[in-house]
Amino acid sequence: MTETAPLPALSIRGLKKSFGPRTVLNGIDLDIFEGDVVCIIGPSGSGKSTLLRAMAFLDPYDAGDITVFGRLMGWRDTPMGRELQGEQELAEARAPLGMVFQHFHLWPHLSALANVTLALKLARGMGRKEADALGMEMLGRVGLASHARNFPDQLSGGQKQRVAIARALAVKPRAMLFDEPTSALDPQLVGEVLSVMKTLAAEGMTMVIVTHEMGFAAHAANRTVFMDGGVIVEEGDPKQLFRAPKSARLAEFLETWRERAI
Amino acid sequence: MTLLSPEFVALFIRAFAITLGVTAAGLAIALLLGLPVALALRSRRTVLSVPARLYVELMRGAPLVILLFLVYYGGPSVGLLLDAPTAGIAGLGLYGAGYFAEIYRAGLNAVPPGEIEAARMLGLGRTQIFLHIQMPGALRLILPPGTGQAINLLKESAVLSIITVPELTKTAGEIANLTFSAVTPYLVAALLYWAAVETLARTGRAAERRLGAAQK
Amino acid sequence: MLAMLHQTYPVLLDGLMMTLLVSGIALLIGCPLGLLIARAALSDSRAARWTSGIYRSFWRGTPILVQLIIVFYLPMSFGLKVAPVLAAIVALALNTAAFQSEIYRAGLSAIPAGQLEAARLLGLTRAQILVRIEAPQAIRLMLPALISEALALIKNSSLVSVIAVTEITRRAQQIASATFHPLEAYTLALVAYLAIAAVLAGAGLLVERRLAHGGSR
Repeated sequence: MTETAPLPALSIRGLKKSFGPRTVLNGIDLDIFEGDVVCIIGPSGSGKSTLLRAMAFLDPYDAGDITVFGRLMGWRDTPMGRELQGEQELAEARAPLGMVFQHFHLWPHLSALANVTLALKLARGMGRKEADALGMEMLGRVGLASHARNFPDQLSGGQKQRVAIARALAVKPRAMLFDEPTSALDPQLVGEVLSVMKTLAAEGMTMVIVTHEMGFAAHAANRTVFMDGGVIVEEGDPKQLFRAPKSARLAEFLETWRERAI
Repeated sequence: MTLLSPEFVALFIRAFAITLGVTAAGLAIALLLGLPVALALRSRRTVLSVPARLYVELMRGAPLVILLFLVYYGGPSVGLLLDAPTAGIAGLGLYGAGYFAEIYRAGLNAVPPGEIEAARMLGLGRTQIFLHIQMPGALRLILPPGTGQAINLLKESAVLSIITVPELTKTAGEIANLTFSAVTPYLVAALLYWAAVETLARTGRAAERRLGAAQK
Repeated sequence: MLAMLHQTYPVLLDGLMMTLLVSGIALLIGCPLGLLIARAALSDSRAARWTSGIYRSFWRGTPILVQLIIVFYLPMSFGLKVAPVLAAIVALALNTAAFQSEIYRAGLSAIPAGQLEAARLLGLTRAQILVRIEAPQAIRLMLPALISEALALIKNSSLVSVIAVTEITRRAQQIASATFHPLEAYTLALVAYLAIAAVLAGAGLLVERRLAHGGSR
């Protein structure tokens, strides 16, 4: 018996996506393995957020495959061609994924705790006591147990994003997707969110992060993907990628970023 | 006989109760019927959205009295025989539904799509998302114009007097005939309407404050 | 229905004219009156604010039908006979003035004080500020609301049929009782009102688009 290679958590093959006449993703191939912390960087309009949203099928992709823990995401292949998965099927395909958004998207009419527990009660059928206990545990993990009763309006941006992370973690995802999680934050609030993410990475969570935080991409990730014009231009170990970019486009992108940082 | 004789007071009380009753019934129909119309307005399928849009524009473009005449006097020629209160309540409800559909639609549209995506990512179904995310999120925006529309229906219910529903305005007219005092009964009626409108407005504002306070 | 339209269109057209006349005059009278009430609401004088508040509360808080009957019968109880058309116009004008005043109040208080200060610092006179800065912005803010108030007024004018003003609704009633075809008669009236609503909505879109592009010029 030969040892088989580990199955990737997320596998993307030949992915294409257009919005009207504009091609946003033009043939993406990418494997993400369990325990990977992958940062996707690139200029705005490069397609990185679209790629992340496609992984969760928040926007349907046009061609190619996205397989999440062995299941095709969003589409069902039939002899007649492809058709959209039904609501239940799609929910099952998405179940291993947690998502954190740039603008948090907490539900404003619910307290921090209720934001975390709603899906536990509704989608997981958990009892109130059990859900509340788990919710408090999750808020504790992001350092916000004392803010459980606060409503989103009463929280800072950094606190909102931490609640959003707790909400996503509560349903025990096997991989977490972060869509520019710190881009909407005031600079002094970025650190608290990044430190929660670093802890999560250290615990072995599989993470895919679209980000402009080059420091985070350089130090916390084990792989970095550079996208431009709807394709992956360069991919690999972040230290190597940042020190010695192979492509002119990445070199140029890093140059612009360094200028802005100074 | 004076205006304050017990029998007139009893008539006014009864008529006021009828006004409140037909308004409440019309409002209930408007609130319930407005919701599916709003969902149809928001639908991507034109077989749903176009008829819903036509319905809303019809109800918002037509005076209530014409709608009531169509139902009450025009109805029998197509086999629709309703007594005056039923026709009045139906007319008020159908009319109000057109306005409430727009109010619901605007409220639902204001819920950020990301909040719905977040719910979908957590495995909530469409009905759960509608009940637990979209409607509560929209409520803040629905409440102020919704209160205004409830007040409008209360005031518009006076039009039911024209098709002989014995509500407040109709009764004021009858008392005017009996007492030969043309204006005073209508002033009493106006006072009662005004009190009911103020009460509704205050209730709406209090509800808005409570909703705001719960989220602050 | 087409046959009925063919027979009765002169009468309906007459009713349409009356509807537009009564509503149009009421709208025009309501404008300065509404501005006055709005001005009183923003006044420093407590009495003026109170009077304005009571006025708005009564005319916005009671049914137009009741207001109309009171305006029609009140002079009679003093022995004065008032033509129904006149009573109709007065009642509608007093009513729309209250609603218009809310629109003007919102429009006038929506312009940030900083803009007016900036204009004053640049040496513009009060009149220049009103004409060049305040009016163009206020009009842009208020126009959609004014158009929907015009539509509400036209719909309200259907109620003046109860004091026998021969506008669309009254004409439709007459046709219904003369022909014994109420469904058709009221459908024709409905179509007339919807046509007015459509024209107003179209005018609103046109004006909004012009204001959005060209500004005040």
